[in-house]
Amino acid sequence: MRQLLLALLVLTTGCSAQAGEDGPLLVAAASDLGPAFTELGEAYERDTGRAVTFTFGSSGQLSQQIANGAPFEVFASANEAYVDDVLEAGQGDRQSKAQYALGQLVVWTRPDAAQAGLSQLGQARFRRIAVANPEHAPYGAAAVQALRSAGLYDQVRDRLVYGENVSDTLRLASSGNADVAIVAQSLAAVEQGGHYTEVQPGLHEPLRQALVVTAEPERAEAAQDFADLVVSARGREVLSRFGFAPPEV
Amino acid sequence: MDWFPLLLSLRVASLATLLAAVFGIGGAYLLAKGRFPGRGLLEAVASLPIVLPPTVLGYYLLVVLGARSPLGRAWESVFGGPLVFSVSGAIVAATISALPFCLRTARAAIEQVDPRVEAAARTLGLPEWRVALQVTLPLARRGVIAGVALGFARALGDFGATVMVAGNIPGRTQTMPIAVYDAVQAGDDARAGTLALILAVVAVAVLLLVNRFSRVGV
Repeated sequence: MRQLLLALLVLTTGCSAQAGEDGPLLVAAASDLGPAFTELGEAYERDTGRAVTFTFGSSGQLSQQIANGAPFEVFASANEAYVDDVLEAGQGDRQSKAQYALGQLVVWTRPDAAQAGLSQLGQARFRRIAVANPEHAPYGAAAVQALRSAGLYDQVRDRLVYGENVSDTLRLASSGNADVAIVAQSLAAVEQGGHYTEVQPGLHEPLRQALVVTAEPERAEAAQDFADLVVSARGREVLSRFGFAPPEV
Repeated sequence: MDWFPLLLSLRVASLATLLAAVFGIGGAYLLAKGRFPGRGLLEAVASLPIVLPPTVLGYYLLVVLGARSPLGRAWESVFGGPLVFSVSGAIVAATISALPFCLRTARAAIEQVDPRVEAAARTLGLPEWRVALQVTLPLARRGVIAGVALGFARALGDFGATVMVAGNIPGRTQTMPIAVYDAVQAGDDARAGTLALILAVVAVAVLLLVNRFSRVGV
């Protein structure tokens, strides 16, 4: 018993170092940014010598967490509206808000299935169609809009399954639990195997991806450096390689 | 291999178990011995964390303890930082999740103790608190330890409540279960598998250890 208590004591007093002034920059980013931001994060670390830590999730959930006091210092959303939510909750610097890309929606199918476009999703061979939860994931909302515009929604509605966010959605299909997924091109492009077909952008509201600095004043400069990198020509080059279009001017 | 999630999980789970044990055993004694109105209701409410889905529990904790709530503000004015999205937040979430397991199991064990033994201690002049600490609890120890072990298991494995209250911040609040989830999301099946295996091994090792202690006696 005594050893057990001793071990407990060591555990609870040890490793209590907290990320403070010099800790890594905390960036909350939409799931579609995973591969692209990982590369930009490495560039940021090389440039500034400061480490950066990413939390990827659905934009709606992340904005909710920031509004509730989560210590993220940059918020990169897949949809401008969630940036506005954060600003309305008084958690961001209005001046730092910037659009950095337009998201591209694609239909992804597994390597063992034939490539398919949005218009074919009504076919019976697609028994389960994965989309991100449209309640809080911008790509999910865009996918549902596109299905409606194509006149397919009522036909496929009972076959839709929801992912927590857009990378979870791709996981549903890549693991074979859904036959097809409507996801971000930025994720489909780096997925091993599989095929994807672009969804016509005109079928849904543009996925205007925007970011905002949400850091405390003493860390705002470091956070702004990252935001600047994302919207810079270099950032745009990386984003375009992962299938993002440049923002509307 | 990044060991941070494992160390954090062990730290959060042990502190949460300690807190849940103190409040759980204290509460169990009160429920077993006390005769006061609303006792049944109190026990039912204390069992809510077992009944509610962890995410729902986490959601309400976020509402009650969040940066904009009175409790959250009070915490911030005392400790200088918000409770939610911090390690302390993770500990609170794990404590609440573990509490009913400690409480219910300990209460059943305390009620099984033969009241004649306690009465005998009283006739020998022991004050009530010494009867509790020196007679009742040692006799109920198997059940009490089993409850604490269950609480530890629950605290170590919590995902839903922790991710709501403390978020998923690598290097800060990302515990093992959240790291497994994160690896699955990122499509890194190898990492997810390794982390899950380590978590399972650690959990089994700790529970075996506790089992041995409860056999040997205190």
